Amino acid sequence: MNGTLLLQTLVDGLILGGIFSLSAVGFSLIFGVLGVVNLAHGIFILGGAYLGLALKAALGLDPLAAIPIVFVVVSVIGAALHQTLVSAAVRRGSLMTSLLITFGISLIVRDILILIFGPDIHSLASVWLLNTFHVGGVVVDGARATALIASLALLGLLSLVLYRMKVGRAIRATAQQSFAAGLCGVDAGRVHTLTFGVSAGFAGASGIVIGMINPFSPFDDAYWTLNAFVTVVLGGVGSPVGALLGGLLLGEISTLSSQYIGSRYPNVFIFGALFLMLIVRPNGLLGNAYKGSV
Amino acid sequence: MGAFNPPIRAGFWALSGLLLLGALVLPFVLAPFHLRLAQQILLFGGMAIGWSLLGGFTSYWSFGHTAFFGLGAFSAGLLSQQLGPEMSVALRLLIGLVFAVVLTLIAAVAIAGPVLKLRGIYFAIAMLAFAEILGEISKTFDFFQGTSGFPLPTLSALGLQKVQLFYFLFLLLFVANVVVFVWLRRSRLGIGLICIGQDEDTAAMLGIPTERYKLVAFVLSAVLTAIGGVLYGYSLGFISSGSVFRIDISLNLILYSMLGGIGTVVGPFVGAAIMIILTQVVLGDLLDLHMMLTGTVLIAMVILAPKGLMGLLHKAWSRRRAAAGEARA
Amino acid sequence: MTILQVEGLTKQFKGLRAIQDLSFAVERQSITSIVGPNGAGKSTLFNMVSGYLKPTVGRILLDGRDITGKAPYMVCQLGVARAFQIAKPFPELSVEKNILVAASFGRSGPRDPAATTAHAIEICHLAAWRHQPASELSIGNLRRLELARAIAARPVLLLADEPCAGLNETETREVIDVLSTIRDSGVTVLLVEHDIKAVRRVSDRVIVVEAGRKIADGTASQVFADQAVIDAYLGTAGG
Repeated sequence: MNGTLLLQTLVDGLILGGIFSLSAVGFSLIFGVLGVVNLAHGIFILGGAYLGLALKAALGLDPLAAIPIVFVVVSVIGAALHQTLVSAAVRRGSLMTSLLITFGISLIVRDILILIFGPDIHSLASVWLLNTFHVGGVVVDGARATALIASLALLGLLSLVLYRMKVGRAIRATAQQSFAAGLCGVDAGRVHTLTFGVSAGFAGASGIVIGMINPFSPFDDAYWTLNAFVTVVLGGVGSPVGALLGGLLLGEISTLSSQYIGSRYPNVFIFGALFLMLIVRPNGLLGNAYKGSV
Repeated sequence: MGAFNPPIRAGFWALSGLLLLGALVLPFVLAPFHLRLAQQILLFGGMAIGWSLLGGFTSYWSFGHTAFFGLGAFSAGLLSQQLGPEMSVALRLLIGLVFAVVLTLIAAVAIAGPVLKLRGIYFAIAMLAFAEILGEISKTFDFFQGTSGFPLPTLSALGLQKVQLFYFLFLLLFVANVVVFVWLRRSRLGIGLICIGQDEDTAAMLGIPTERYKLVAFVLSAVLTAIGGVLYGYSLGFISSGSVFRIDISLNLILYSMLGGIGTVVGPFVGAAIMIILTQVVLGDLLDLHMMLTGTVLIAMVILAPKGLMGLLHKAWSRRRAAAGEARA
Repeated sequence: MTILQVEGLTKQFKGLRAIQDLSFAVERQSITSIVGPNGAGKSTLFNMVSGYLKPTVGRILLDGRDITGKAPYMVCQLGVARAFQIAKPFPELSVEKNILVAASFGRSGPRDPAATTAHAIEICHLAAWRHQPASELSIGNLRRLELARAIAARPVLLLADEPCAGLNETETREVIDVLSTIRDSGVTVLLVEHDIKAVRRVSDRVIVVEAGRKIADGTASQVFADQAVIDAYLGTAGG
């Protein structure tokens, strides 16, 4: 076995995994805190990417610089959607209602994106991202390196908020015991809206990162939503660390199976890993960060 | 089942008979375009009812029923190829059907154990993963001819046009689904399943053999879906991964059931009729707006009518009865 | 004649030994009460007898038959029914249908669901609410629905989990009377209760459990005169 090739593949998997982690963490938070499976997650990601595209076209803004703006805009949209539609769905009962509403949202937004931007593929790649670096026999291109750094930075930021700041404590408390948290003065409804908004924001920001390295089209949203779900199943719900672990694992599975078994069917392995994990350990490697095992 | 379900009134039989009669006459009065619509409604409406055998009763919502749809289509189709052109198409269809049922039975029993231990969204996604895996396998190995697809011979019988013939076959499957659903709802098994859907742990505490019951519903649902796949394949005259392993088939079954009313026998059919007519006829040319419409319908339905249209009707009906009761008092 | 035999039962959780070497026998057609301070392990005991949890060590015999570790539905089919403290009716079914389910399943053997349901409704005074969805019942009625559903499963042994919790004097007396009627109809009742007055009034025998161990076993008067029991309740016993 070619050692350098293995190393390259592992590094590629790490980088891909970092991006998967970032793109999945918002989904994980919503699942952990609200108990909602957000099927609009992928479309938030794409929305962020397209917003970055629009900003670049209109203002000549570099995608990296657009990240904060996109984060804020998508957060606000996410929070608004939660206030109006998602919370209504959750009130109406079953887990499935929020599933269906978020799915409905994804369909509508996807159609809007198609109407505005067209169904074709776009990209956020900038010229300066094409430089490649050689580190110990491994090739990393600028885009991917930047993406990884951005991912880790954003994940770190999220962890900071969740574990060091008061609002983060409120979020975690609501996730564990919303009634008790309410008794301590935490407004669960507000926390939910905040969490949903922030998670959407992270999804949007990750969309820019993804758009920098991959071409994208409005039809990709299902792929990213599913990726997020796989990441959460593999790594555990609700924590950035879980998302990181799950994402890295997913990234490695992707690249390793692509490289050594054939890039024709990476999906079989991803879904296979998902299926296996669900059967063996449904709570993922870390278990549910907030609620413990089922 | 004693007092659990009221006895079937004569009116119900009369209405059903009338509807069936109407359905039988339709192929001879409708234009081919409309007949094809009716075909679709019968096939997917029927399969939505089949999906409900599990999802509607036990609240185990499978997001991967296209797995069985595709499994049925491929197994029957490949066997038909093997049986060769000497055998009549009808016979090949029949043998293929039996083969597909047996294979689906085995597959369903094989995964039922582990998969039915999962609850809620985890079960839904596990089924989705299962469907994707089967779809990918069909595309990966050349033996299945999934990527290129393979043709199936045309079925003709009784001097009917193809579209009429398959209409009747789909109608037959539809009726089968309805019969199974209604029989189940009136059986002890069905009551157990409903209780599992309400509160599975309590159901077990009351002596309901939950694992066994769930398995039966799962297998029934899977087999009926597989039969749908076989017939669909023959009606298309062509089987490929892209035509029978489709996530939107899985999602539509859920959508139709939800729209019409989960747990009712008429609901999924009504849901299918509305959505298929809406997307095929009303929006026929406006393909771009398909998704937006479906999404809007979904959202409106969840917010306004979480129990589907039948749920709305039920509420209106009981409100009328309550008002009449008060008026009398 | 013993209907339930618990031998050397121990349950170890990750950091806590909830039950320690517990043994006792329950006489047929009696009302045997299990009392003890909170955290004594009473719910854990019920969970093991009904099949919800597996004991770490020990055996449970129902009418001579080993039911240790059997699945909950099996245990119910063999004749054990449980009325939960936090009532868990099927929310969308009516009171009558809730009971009918238990009457249609429950203990294996010949069944007459309609008759059993009617009987249970009568004993538990639920006739006025038969067609109401269970989700709309008041707490007192929910308790009685729990009992009705449990007896509709035609058990030989009924596990009644704090049926009087949160009820006033009158309601408590009603529940106790229902339990007596149940006992008189041939069912053995294993009762967990905090209300000592009610326990004294209705029990044929009382077992006192503290920190997972049995500390007294006898008639109500014997047991409540026992110094060890008094100490346990007043907290002067070590730990």
